[in-house]
Amino acid sequence: MPASAVSIRGLTKQYGALRAVDNLNLEVAPGEILGFLGLNGAGKTTTIRILLDLLRPTRGSAFIFGHDCRRDGLAVRANVGYLPAEMGIYPDLTGLEVLSLLAGLGGRAAAPRRRRELQERFGLPDTDLRRKLREYSTGMKRKLGLIQAFQSDPLLLILDEPTEGLDPLMQEAFYALLAEARQRGAAIFMSSHVLSEVDRVCDRVALLRKGELVLLRAVEEIRRLASRRVRVHLLEDRLPPAQFPPGVELIESAPRLWTLDVEGYLGPLLECLRAVPVRDLEVVESKLEDVVMRYYREDRP
Amino acid sequence: MNLRPPLLLLAHSMKRLRTLLFAMALLLSVFQIVLVAEARSVERSGGFQQLAALIPPFARELLGPSITAFMSFAGILCLGYFHVAVMGALVGLAIAVATVPASEVETGFMDLILARPLARHWIITRSIVVASLSIGLVLGFMLLGTWIGLRTLAPAGAVWPTVSLLRSLALNLGLLMLAWSGVALAIASTARRRSAAGAVAAVLALAAFLVDYLGRLWQPAEALAWFSPFRYFSPFDLVMGAPLPLKNVAVLLGIALAGFLAAYVLFSRRDISH
Repeated sequence: MPASAVSIRGLTKQYGALRAVDNLNLEVAPGEILGFLGLNGAGKTTTIRILLDLLRPTRGSAFIFGHDCRRDGLAVRANVGYLPAEMGIYPDLTGLEVLSLLAGLGGRAAAPRRRRELQERFGLPDTDLRRKLREYSTGMKRKLGLIQAFQSDPLLLILDEPTEGLDPLMQEAFYALLAEARQRGAAIFMSSHVLSEVDRVCDRVALLRKGELVLLRAVEEIRRLASRRVRVHLLEDRLPPAQFPPGVELIESAPRLWTLDVEGYLGPLLECLRAVPVRDLEVVESKLEDVVMRYYREDRP
Repeated sequence: MNLRPPLLLLAHSMKRLRTLLFAMALLLSVFQIVLVAEARSVERSGGFQQLAALIPPFARELLGPSITAFMSFAGILCLGYFHVAVMGALVGLAIAVATVPASEVETGFMDLILARPLARHWIITRSIVVASLSIGLVLGFMLLGTWIGLRTLAPAGAVWPTVSLLRSLALNLGLLMLAWSGVALAIASTARRRSAAGAVAAVLALAAFLVDYLGRLWQPAEALAWFSPFRYFSPFDLVMGAPLPLKNVAVLLGIALAGFLAAYVLFSRRDISH
């Protein structure tokens, strides 16, 4: 098996003067969950559609398990489970008809037992599957989408906004399913706007801005790089020093409380506080959201 | 080659179209039976001779000898195969069936289908097969309606249209529908909206029909009329006893094949986005 589940090399998609994706390079390993982030119009869906050969790149190429997505699309898609952001399904079909049709068109056999198990986990019994889709709620359609994506246990899952419309219990069921898929070696390429979810389930994050990749790091690493909020509680009234070490910024100062933002390690700050009568030190761990939001804000016109 | 996925898609498409197809087939077959009933009542009252006598000589000259051929029991029955409402309904059906790929792109259903290991050419092949089956089904029902009408309602002594005449009319009409299926499929294979693809195909069909009609009435417009597919549907000649011209078959089949080929090429190259 090739080292990469997904390999994107110099991928560019241009619509006239607009570059939807600009020279994107990205690798996803088997057993890895990649959070694919960006504001609306950043190029996430375009990239996903190129991987599925729905769109043709202007330049560059993409490979899935070593197969060229353009030239060898059938072999690529035989191993992929796809959940689009919006399920384009006809309202006069039943859930069962949709699942049967999509399983029949798939490259990997979907075991009925697996489907039943997924139905149970997502709370979508046979009685619901026999109903027409026009009677489905948004959440039910999402569950149906997840079942069709997971039912053949594909080696790569491409999920576009997977938890949109799911209630918290179903989100938990989905996260558990993701963990199992990762455990059996499946790669997951997941686009999401829910940063807490990305923070929780993803191994790495790729962030697109106007078609360009501006951040590609492990979630842990991003958290480490992000500034942490540190509150220094003092035993007596004390003015803060005129200058803190590099990477430390004073945010707020009260007679017995200093609030600081610390980028990187805490060592230099602790050194600086040696002569200060500290009662307590409160460190608020940074979240992925803080970093990503900073990139998003920079993206605003 | 694994044919199961394309066959599944074909079955799915036929299933989705079944209500429209059977409604149309039933309606048109009933129309044929009604025509037989109408022809019987005119025949019984001796109305055909009276009607023929009522046509003034200048009109007879203008319309040609075919007009007398229609003033008969068999002639009225044949009208069911080229009445403007029948032709409109059938060409409309051909366009509706052939523009399904545009609808699938529009709804996003195409994303789900093509995210599976299914080659794009199967989408077009499926549409061609669905169009052909639909045409065959509707024309088959029309012929069945004529047969039922004749067996149950034809008055004794009335001259029935020959089997070969009905077969030629149905074949020529079927080829005309296939030609418009080809044109509509080529348009739909590049479209993102079914309504847009259907509207373009319908306007083209209407324009082609008017050009042909004008060409038949007005000599200077005749040169232009050769570009209309409707020019190659000649029911009047068939009713007059002429065999189905090979040129009609070749041109209509050629238009259909050119449309299908264009659809294969255009659909294989396009971006699927809705």
